[in-house]
Amino acid sequence: MRLTINGRPWEGDPAGETTLLGLLRDDLELTGTKLSCDRGECGACTVQLDGRTVHACLTLAHGCDGQAVRTVEGLAGPEGALNDLQAAFIAHDAAQCGFCTPGQLMAADALLAANPRPSDEEIRAWMAGNLCRCGTYPNILTAIRAVAEARSRG
Amino acid sequence: MAEVKSGFITTTVEVEGRTETRVVERPAFEPTPWGTDAALTHVGQSPPRVDAPEKVTGRARYTADIQRPRQAVALFLRSTVAKGTITHFDATAARAVPGVLAVMGPGDAPAKTRLFPSAISYAGQPIAAVCAESESVAWRALRAIVVQIDSLPFAATFEATAAPDAPKVRSAGNLAEPIVVSRGDVAAGLAAAEVTITREYRTPVALHSAMEPHGAVAEWEGDRLTIWESTQGIFRTRNDVARVLGIAQSQVRVIKEYMGGGFGAKNGAGAHTFTAALLAKQLQRPVRCVLERDGEQMDSGNRPATTQRVTLGARRDGTLTAIRLDADVPLGISGWEGGPAQLYHELYACANVHTTERFAHINASGMQAFRAPGYAEGAIGLEGAMNALATTLGIDPLELRRRNFAERDPRLDRAFTGNALRQCYDEAAERFGWTAPRPAPDRAHPERVRGRGVAAQTWPTGGGPPAYATARLNNDGSIEIASGTQDLGTGARTVLAQIAADAFGAALHDVRVVLGDTERAPYAGNSWGSMTTASVGPAVRMAAEDARAKLLDAASQLLNVPADALETRESRIIVRDSDRTMTFAEVTGKLGNVMIQGRGSRGPNPSDRAIVTVGVQMAEVEVDRMTGVVRVLRIVAAHDCGRVINPTLARSQLEGGILQGLGYALFEERRLDGATGVPLNPSLHDYKIPTMADCPAIDAWCVQNVDADANHTGARGLAEPPLIPTAPAIAAAVADALGVEVSELPLTPWRVLAALG
Ligand code: FES
Ligand code: FES
Repeated sequence: MRLTINGRPWEGDPAGETTLLGLLRDDLELTGTKLSCDRGECGACTVQLDGRTVHACLTLAHGCDGQAVRTVEGLAGPEGALNDLQAAFIAHDAAQCGFCTPGQLMAADALLAANPRPSDEEIRAWMAGNLCRCGTYPNILTAIRAVAEARSRG
Repeated sequence: MAEVKSGFITTTVEVEGRTETRVVERPAFEPTPWGTDAALTHVGQSPPRVDAPEKVTGRARYTADIQRPRQAVALFLRSTVAKGTITHFDATAARAVPGVLAVMGPGDAPAKTRLFPSAISYAGQPIAAVCAESESVAWRALRAIVVQIDSLPFAATFEATAAPDAPKVRSAGNLAEPIVVSRGDVAAGLAAAEVTITREYRTPVALHSAMEPHGAVAEWEGDRLTIWESTQGIFRTRNDVARVLGIAQSQVRVIKEYMGGGFGAKNGAGAHTFTAALLAKQLQRPVRCVLERDGEQMDSGNRPATTQRVTLGARRDGTLTAIRLDADVPLGISGWEGGPAQLYHELYACANVHTTERFAHINASGMQAFRAPGYAEGAIGLEGAMNALATTLGIDPLELRRRNFAERDPRLDRAFTGNALRQCYDEAAERFGWTAPRPAPDRAHPERVRGRGVAAQTWPTGGGPPAYATARLNNDGSIEIASGTQDLGTGARTVLAQIAADAFGAALHDVRVVLGDTERAPYAGNSWGSMTTASVGPAVRMAAEDARAKLLDAASQLLNVPADALETRESRIIVRDSDRTMTFAEVTGKLGNVMIQGRGSRGPNPSDRAIVTVGVQMAEVEVDRMTGVVRVLRIVAAHDCGRVINPTLARSQLEGGILQGLGYALFEERRLDGATGVPLNPSLHDYKIPTMADCPAIDAWCVQNVDADANHTGARGLAEPPLIPTAPAIAAAVADALGVEVSELPLTPWRVLAALG
């Protein structure tokens, strides 16, 4: 099977039962994407598949054949320059322990791609599947709102 | 800085609400306290977390991200009965699964580890572990193990375990000796009361539910063991492992770089740690043992349930004359007696207080400290009853609290180092609009009713010794601060860097803080009890000042001026009243390989003073009388934690505590099946924690109140206090909206509807 992972082509033949999360974390050592519930309940493993968010823990690797996977490691620019969303997460203290953060970032990034000017209610609804036990939600909301505003100002 | 005689003295420290007496070393010098007017550059500002870039790029490595060469994976098989005896265990088929490396079952682990007993005492207890090349192989092998358990009658509630004919939960007895604490004469206080009220409250078992489950990676090199562990206490984990495995502490290294939350459940080595260490030894390969989510929710600690029967006596003006509590607390199979009573003794001035706590063991996973253990539960009863008393008396509930403000620590009759609770009351009332007229009811939706509630909080946050730190100044002027504490997501790394930068007179970006490694850093205690800033902060400050003094000594030689004519600012040495300066790097560059080092330790707390963090929260809710659904619209929170090192991080702590309190109020409840004692909701789907969609508008801050008497940084702790008043404030707001109290948490729709009748 073939994938594009964070812009780079990848080819391999993982075991049939391998999840996308297992492929990323164990085989490719892209450990930014986290495992927390392993059953689609928490959003910690959120990645983008051809721009859509998926739970990597519930996605079989072979089912992704031919698609483009984007993970938290793919957010920063080529020289490692943080993108505006990452910078906003830092500026608004939107990561406490940071364990849920990669999933939050990937969900938020997909939200802004789908809806560049989301209302607070739309942000809440979209992000409700990404749990954060540290309770960083107010700051995540602020960070997303700030990026949406900055982008719309151009 | 004042020179004092160093040596050992006896002092008291408060941990998670318990007072402990310790013999500690008095530091060689105590830095001059940073008072209100201290000239600080970094402390009090809000630089971003020093480790935030690692967290937003995925570079931060948590325990499960550790990948050692040839690392194997271990998983547990867990009991599905609450009590029983394993009569047959056969792992032949499991061992035959290709890729399986080892199986450990009943009798296979050293007794000291208490792993895999054949007598089962709760559902979810590990029965066996499989170690394999990969997780999927381990899963397959787990399913191939054949176990037969003869189940026995169990007791999974307080009532069941306290019954005369109850099954034996623990050989030492199901019930612990009750804890009775009394001051004054509660009978006389009740006799003198003009009004008395009695209420009963029930609180649920709550689960920590950290996003990162418990886990360890163990690796042996010869007879030396390295453990990567998601832990709130690297030294405690090290000592647990050494004791249980019978090896020297110097043979064990524990590392915790990043961790995904702890909230009290990760205070030492656990079954997963010992299992990883034993299997790694047996296989001579690194082994990772990380709990799966259902294991985490079933068996990694919990806040125990309580039943609290509360009686308050008061005069008509609201002055409390008596507080009485009778509490039942089922602890699970193990745990410590962290009951709800202490808050009843500490929050209000009242001469007559009598509390009785009955603790019982039940056939369920053991409790562990959970953010503000005991106090969070106690606040439901005490603050619930205070609000009921206010209603009965027709006194505003905030005013009732003002009238019973404790000028001194009422439990031990000693002065506070600082207590700005009244300022919190004033500021919160102002920002909430407590006395403002209520908005008109929504005519279109008459079933939607709004209410407001208030609750207060106290929590011992003095921290204390022992805690150590070292500072070293490298050749290039960069500074390394090392302390064996840990950052759970609290921001300790950042806050300590800010303290060190100010103590050194260095630029913040020149300071690197090394935590979470027993081999690289001197001892600091567990990150529990909201103690880290107040315990480790002073040690870090002293280490930095100690090194700075040496730097100035060296610079005075190079500059040919006395050391006391020198100042440091943003990594520069400045000759006072002149334009001569040198950077730190210029000084150290001239010293060659001389290493400037500093050593700091935490001195004792002032004797006979209470050190507390206090606060108040107000909630506004909307309740739908048709569906019973409660929505929290906003929370206003004002707390006094002494000096705030980083206001943004402090606000994050407040919001986090408030949201956990909101979950405790509305959703969170571990359910056991009455017929089997098996947990019914060991998942994040069925055990509900708040999501962003549940998040109310939160206005939270710390009032300005530098506490230079608590310790020389002026800061107290903050992590646990904000969780305490949230749930009782929400419960009060629901009662206000409905005109009837819901006395059992969480306030689920069916409980609300049942209360409405
Ligand atoms: S780990 Fe995939 S949703 Fe929780
Ligand atoms: S930041 Fe800790 S779980 Fe979200």
